[in-house]
Amino acid sequence: MLTANQLNNALTLFFSLMVEAIPFLLLGVLFSSALLLFVDERKLVAAVPRHPLLAALAGSLIGCLFPVCECGNVPVARRLIVQGAPSSMAIGFLLAAPTVNPIVFWATWTAFRDQPEVVFLRVGFTLLIASIVGWVFSTQADLRPLLQPTVTRAMPSQSTQARSSSTRSHGNGATTDSDLALLQSGTFLLGTGTQPQRLDDPAMLSTNLALSRPWTDRLPLMLDNVVQELRELGGVLILGAAIASIIQIAAPREVILGLGQNTITSILAMMLLACVVSICSTVDSFFALSFASTFTTGSLLAFLVFGPMIDLKNIALLWSVFRARAIIYLFVLAAQLTFLLSLLVNLYI
Amino acid sequence: MTVKPSKSKLTISQRRRARKANAKKRNLAWLQPLIDILAIAAWGVLLLRYWLTDKINILLHPDYVWLAYSAGFFLLGLAALKSVQWLRQKKQGQSSTTPPHFSLFPPGWSSTLLFAVALFGFYFTPQPFASDVALNRGVTESLTMTRSQPQAFRSATAPEERSLVEWIRTLNVYPEPDAYTGQRANVEGFVIHSNEIPDNYLVIARFVITCCAADVYPVGLPVKLPAGDRSAHPPDQWLRVEGQMITETLKNKRQLVIDATSLTEIPEPDTPYDY
Repeated sequence: MLTANQLNNALTLFFSLMVEAIPFLLLGVLFSSALLLFVDERKLVAAVPRHPLLAALAGSLIGCLFPVCECGNVPVARRLIVQGAPSSMAIGFLLAAPTVNPIVFWATWTAFRDQPEVVFLRVGFTLLIASIVGWVFSTQADLRPLLQPTVTRAMPSQSTQARSSSTRSHGNGATTDSDLALLQSGTFLLGTGTQPQRLDDPAMLSTNLALSRPWTDRLPLMLDNVVQELRELGGVLILGAAIASIIQIAAPREVILGLGQNTITSILAMMLLACVVSICSTVDSFFALSFASTFTTGSLLAFLVFGPMIDLKNIALLWSVFRARAIIYLFVLAAQLTFLLSLLVNLYI
Repeated sequence: MTVKPSKSKLTISQRRRARKANAKKRNLAWLQPLIDILAIAAWGVLLLRYWLTDKINILLHPDYVWLAYSAGFFLLGLAALKSVQWLRQKKQGQSSTTPPHFSLFPPGWSSTLLFAVALFGFYFTPQPFASDVALNRGVTESLTMTRSQPQAFRSATAPEERSLVEWIRTLNVYPEPDAYTGQRANVEGFVIHSNEIPDNYLVIARFVITCCAADVYPVGLPVKLPAGDRSAHPPDQWLRVEGQMITETLKNKRQLVIDATSLTEIPEPDTPYDY
């Protein structure tokens, strides 16, 4: 049990994490909403190379367009998935975007300008890991079984996808669009004709309804979307921040730090710390800097590469998109690759 | 794909009214926009309140404060816009025309949680961290733990003008304690009682913040008291310590110690963390 003082500290930490994360969450939600209503992701998705590895690399590099940390990239990734992006691209984006963007590069450079190898290895390792994990996920061409049912429902139906993509030809033809429409509840547009229109209708998604409407109509839609995503992701952020604060206060950090000198345990300790601290990728390099004198370079890199991909706060956000099974795959793959690459740095650099 | 109207004889507005009535019966969905607006506005006000009452200094590094209050203003603007939209839709009898969405919680839960936590934020006053956190985070284990490369290292600074954090940075660049023996020290910080050093020593410490309270880390130096034991200076008391630097062996380690000549109690600073 926490003492009153510890509870006080945990609450201060909690509000600190929230106050720090909310601006970035807002930025992410704004970018995500703009992407929905002003950018045709279909073109973005269509421009992605067919080869799964190249698609994963392209997805990873798209992060440069969205300078947001991991609290912000989950809604964007979710949007890409709903718009039918190949799994390798979506996963590549999800893992790489928090790190591979100009703001994080600049922050890391500011912190580690005397150790430029840390800056470049951070970006390089992230691209490599995100591409490999994206590639692995491409064997599951249809992400649906790994997604939350709510996300699956909003995706274009299997048959529509099969028609629009020659790479995915194993669609389940038994389920028709009309079957889905009868079974689903959904959001309807009123006053646009003689009948209400389903907004999550696959046919409407394929023509991107919002883009066909005048600007004066798009802005209220964007406002609605911003509020919705803010509400949903804000709720999850509260859970993640609460868990992170309690663990940070209740777990004696000396235990984690005590592991820090060894080639192997230092990497494991920093990966564990990255998971526990759940700090935003835009600022985590400053945090890592405070361990620069006591921890190996490889372990600092492990912190900087692994933290933005998977941490407690972000697991809660990921859970709004993926089922537990997919999160475990992501976690295990990213953790193994990060560990191996960091170990190479500790041994040979 | 559109849904076929089940009762084709009904006009659009009749169907709309019927659906609205059903929705009201089934749940309290009409409350949703109101709770959304309240939750967004409450977080906006909370962020601005932290900023205006300077409590933000306990939560964030000064470099990030502008982000917090900008977000506060933005959230208030968002709440105002949403209110206007909601009132207009209510007047015209329209429901919200939102794109497809998905959620972990039922929608009402999320907004209620956000609103409730924001309300709790008004009640709860953040407290700067103190010696218990410092001990937990290992100040006694790593007294010289700090940035590997000082960002603003000024070697010309006279020893008596160095802050505690500047001392730690100096030590970090050149860690031989004997190099500093005899130099005058004049530092401020809070008291930590460490069980690992004798009773006639205390640790004078500061927290360094790099981003937010989640990453504050303590740095400190042992202080040899001129007389008696440390019980006269309870943990967390803020002190100005004057004295000169000596080298002693504590915990089987040669290290720099402040041999105090005077200890003055000072009020806790407005910005408790150093940078």
